Formats: sequence, structure tokens, C-alpha cells
Amino acid sequence: MRWLVFFGVFISLHAQNKQLLYGFTEVPQQILLNPGAQVDYRGYIGVPLLSHIHFNAGSTGFSAFDVFADDGKDFNQKIRDVVYKLDSKDFFGFNQQLDIFSVGLSVKKSYEKTFFISFGMYQESDIFSYYPKDYAILAYEGNYNNLNKRFDLGQLNVSAEVLSVFHVGVNKKINSKWTLGLRGKVYSSIAQASSTDNTGSFITVPGTNNNLNHIFDLDMKLQTSGVSFLEDPSANKGLDILKKRLLFGGNLGVGIDVGFTHQPSPEWTVDASLQDVGFINYSKDVKNYILDGYLQYDGVQSVFPQVTSGQTAQDYWDEVEDDFEELFKIDSTTTSYTKWRPIKLNSSVSYNFGRKVDKECNCLSKSDTTFQNRVGAHLFAMKRPNHLQWALSAFYYRKIVKGLQLKTSYTVDAYSFKNVGLGASAALGSVQFYVMADNLLSYQNLAKSQSVSLQLGFNYIFKNNEN
Amino acid sequence: MKTRSFFKKHISLLFVLGACFSCIKDTDFEQSDTLVITPIMEVNLVEVQETADSFLDASEAEVLMISDLIVLDIFSSNFINDNLIKTELVFEVTNSLNKAFQIKMDFYDPSNVLQYSFFIDIDNSLTNTPLVTNHTEVFEAMSLAALKSSTQLDISIILVSSSTGSVLTADSIGNINLTSKGIFYFELKE
Repeated sequence: MRWLVFFGVFISLHAQNKQLLYGFTEVPQQILLNPGAQVDYRGYIGVPLLSHIHFNAGSTGFSAFDVFADDGKDFNQKIRDVVYKLDSKDFFGFNQQLDIFSVGLSVKKSYEKTFFISFGMYQESDIFSYYPKDYAILAYEGNYNNLNKRFDLGQLNVSAEVLSVFHVGVNKKINSKWTLGLRGKVYSSIAQASSTDNTGSFITVPGTNNNLNHIFDLDMKLQTSGVSFLEDPSANKGLDILKKRLLFGGNLGVGIDVGFTHQPSPEWTVDASLQDVGFINYSKDVKNYILDGYLQYDGVQSVFPQVTSGQTAQDYWDEVEDDFEELFKIDSTTTSYTKWRPIKLNSSVSYNFGRKVDKECNCLSKSDTTFQNRVGAHLFAMKRPNHLQWALSAFYYRKIVKGLQLKTSYTVDAYSFKNVGLGASAALGSVQFYVMADNLLSYQNLAKSQSVSLQLGFNYIFKNNEN
Repeated sequence: MKTRSFFKKHISLLFVLGACFSCIKDTDFEQSDTLVITPIMEVNLVEVQETADSFLDASEAEVLMISDLIVLDIFSSNFINDNLIKTELVFEVTNSLNKAFQIKMDFYDPSNVLQYSFFIDIDNSLTNTPLVTNHTEVFEAMSLAALKSSTQLDISIILVSSSTGSVLTADSIGNINLTSKGIFYFELKE
């Protein structure tokens, strides 16, 4: 059996879309994006903790440069511009993945029937938040000059999670046209917090007699699980809990990835995959906070006690204080809850061309006779709480010489309309090396970019002597 | 040709070097130190609605004044203390009683020491038509510090004799209404 052993260092600052890696057959990590991808090798082992390190951070609507440019403009004016430019559909995202281990190997049942099994474990963190514009405006301006403006408190939509994922995938080339794949996943959530199901408003309206009427309508919810260890000052205990939860001691869930590659003709390839069709049930260490109330406040009535016995203005004031305390009283529960994983879709259509032909017929030649070029389109979509995050790429893949492949992509997504990426996989002797970089046009100044990506890896290939 | 193949072989290296030399430039992240947010909150305060009855004692004779006391612990909170830079208290008084008044606002600290005081003169309405008096009291610097150290507000409505005003009886027509709001200017800094 021929083994490829990968010593990979894979660093990226990247949108969750991995358009360069998707379909890059020379890089084994691509099988995590499509369990039904074409596999051209007999096996791989990822070096523990080094085979896949991934960071992604992005924001729509503005870049760090918009705010922090050293351009002599007033900083507060720049912040103000951003606060007003963004809307409640804009979002901020952070995602990080770390492969703990990964292994792939082909299993031969008979001469014809070969399966490719891959399994491993990775840790993932995800933070996602929409821009709560009305909160920002309220904090920025207050309610003065905003009479009759309804501040939508439902715009608060934020979630954060740290989890580990154990996965086993099977990939089978059915015939020359079809390759199918399925990956099962067990999620173990280490900690989770989300507030995604909020409604409510705050509005100040002119009342009668030049009065103001402040109307609070609150229906807010924060769900958390696994965060109680944060209250424990002992760092060692926290670490122990983390280790335990990493290994299936957290809140558990299950999910699958499915995918296929179809080649109706040698020139054409159509492939697609769905990742993370699954859910996690949160029942351990759950704490939910609920803020639910309605209040109209139109001032304190002063009643002069000298002439009307009984209630004084102080009583009214106390009553108002009680009303506000009741309004902002936070109830907590420990009811378990279930959340769907953010489902992701990848799909591409590509056309292969330019088969290499030797000028002289030489049956003993080991030269590569496969197609040298591939051009295609790739679609990525991901389910977010209020919308589908999407990206559309056009790509060109080229085998330059044996052992050196290039892929370039142009991507349009919510972050940018001018995202050019370039990836290369090169074998120099026994060492395989690859690098993938996204948003190249921004590389001269990363601060101008709304999202950035860089992936690189070193692979060491062991070849059998018989080859 | 040799040069070209050299380039091909080392194209990956160029990527890495490019990535290493990519940078964040022309930026100044310390600008955030200058961030100032200045929200202005407008909040309804005290409301008063009194008829002539309110100013009469058990024998239906005019009293000198009526007063009420409100404990205001909100001004002594840390958030207000640190971030409030200006306050305006805006009053609108509508008087249709044929009686002149002086509305007096006294702010006391927890030891009952007077910190700040102001008054609003209200004319009598000879024909019982509503007379509107507007008054805005601005608190800045010293007066704001006095407001922040106050925990009690004493509101007094003092009856004032005027040449055209009448003596109130249970049958006097009209009323005196006061509405008020506070406009609070905050300055939030890092």
C-alpha cells in the first residue's frame, strides 16, 4: 500500500468559504469539504494538531482601514460614518478550526471494490453576530431627537460556541462517472451561548400635555450551556472540564456530511456537498435568561400630602421604581434546548481540457496524460440565523509541470466584490508544499480588507520503491 | 527557458514571501483612545395637576404653600456620576387660576444640606385662560456637581399675592398643571 504522509501546516485567516481548497485533489483536507470528492491517493495521516489550523474573521460593510486609517480625519466622525453606514443585515463572523488528528486510508475488499475511509477529530470555535444597528444608534444618540423612532430590540442576534467534532467518512468510486461520500459526525459542545430569538422595542412618543411617554416592550432570551466553569476561579479545574468535554463529555449532537462527484464525460465534472446537517441537544449545565416585560412610563405624579392625606409623590416614585425593577427582572431557567448546526453547501461545475500528449510514442513513458487545465464555477452557501451567507467563484486550475498545480479564483461574496485568490500545490523532491491565499488584492494592506485568507502547508510524501 | 522554469518552481515561494511582506499600513489603532460617544437621553419627570382645593386647609382658608418630597437616588449612581456632563430640566406650567405662584425646587444631599435651588414665577390668570410659562434650568459644572450630590428634591408651590389676583376658594375656577422632562447629556469615553 502506498502512503502519503502529510506534515501539514495549514494557517488561514479566511472566510468559511474555502473555494481554493474545494476540489483541489492534491490536498487531502479537501475531503472534509466534500466527502464524495475524487481521491487520487491511497491514504494520508495528518500530523496531530498541525494538519489543519484555520482562522477566519470578517465583517461586512466596513474594514479596519475605514476606521483606523491614519488619514488625519476625526476618528469620531469615522466611527459615526460606520455606525450609520452599516445596517442590521451586516454581520461580523469569526471561525477557527484546529485538526486534532486526521487519517485516511483505502480499504480493498476485493480487486474491484475499494472504499476510502477517513476519520479524525477537530475543534471548532464560531462567533457570529448581526450588527444591532438600533442599539448602536440608541447608544450613540440616545432617544433625544428620536421621538417616535421605534428602536428594534430584536436586532440583537449573537451566538458563540466552542465544540469538538469526531468524524468518520466513507468515500466510494461507484464507476467511472460517479463518486459518492458520506461522513458521520458526533459533536461535543464545550460551551455555547446564543441570543438569537429576540423581539421587542423601545420608543418615546409625545404624550398629552407636553408629556413624553416611554414604552418598553421586551421579549429577550439568552441561552447558555457549559459556561458555569467561568464562574469558578480555579484555572486547573476549568482546564480539566475542557479536556473532558473535548472527549464527548459535553452536550452531544450528531450530524452528517454528504457529497458526490459526477463526471458525465471526461471533460465535465459536477460536484456538490452538504456539510453539518445535524443538531446538538443542550441539556447539561444549561442556564437560560429571560427578559420579558411591558411598561409605559410617563413620569411621576406629584401629590401634595398636606392637602390630600395618604399617598405622596414618594409613593408614586417607589411604584415607578418597582415597575422598572419588574420590567428588567431577569428570570432564569435550566430548560434544555436544541440547536441546528450551521448547514453549508458547496457545489461546482468544471470543464477539463488540454490533455498532455507526448510527441513521440513511448509506452514506457510515465508522463502525466491527464487533463492539464480545469475551469469552472463554485457556489458556497451557509445558513445563518437570518439569512443565507453565499459566495460565488470562478476558478482556473492548471498543472504547470508534474508535481506543481496552480488554482486561481475570483470570488464575489458579502464581504467583497473583488476577491482574487491563488493556490499552489508543489512537490519538490519528497516534500509537498502548498499555499492558498485569498483577497490577494488587499495583501499590500490587510487593514483595507474586510476578510483575509492565507493557507499554507508542508506535506511529506512517502513513495513505495516499486513505483 | 531556464528562467521560466526557475520561476515556475519557485512560484510557491513567491506566494509565501508575498504573504510575509503583506502588512497593515497607514493605520493608527491608538485613535480609539479618542473615542467619545455622546448620547442624549430625554426622560419624563414630575407631573403636577392641582385645582384650587389643593391650596385650601380644612377651614377652606388659603395655605401659604404646599410641598412634596421625592427621594432621587438616581443622580448618585456611579454611571451618572462618571458620564453625565450636562443636564437640562425643562418645565412647562399652565395656570388658569387667578392666583400667582412661585414654584420652588430645592435639592438636598443625604445630610439634608441644600445643594441647589431655583424657582419659577407663575402669573395669575385674570380671566382664567390658560397661561403657559416655560422654564429651562441648565446644570453644568458647579450646578451639575450640586445636582449629582443631591438625593432629595423638595417641590413647593408657594401662593403669591398679586394686585390683580384673587383669594382662592373652593369655587375658584381653573387649575395649575406642571409637566417636566429631563434632558441628560452623556459623554462616554474609553
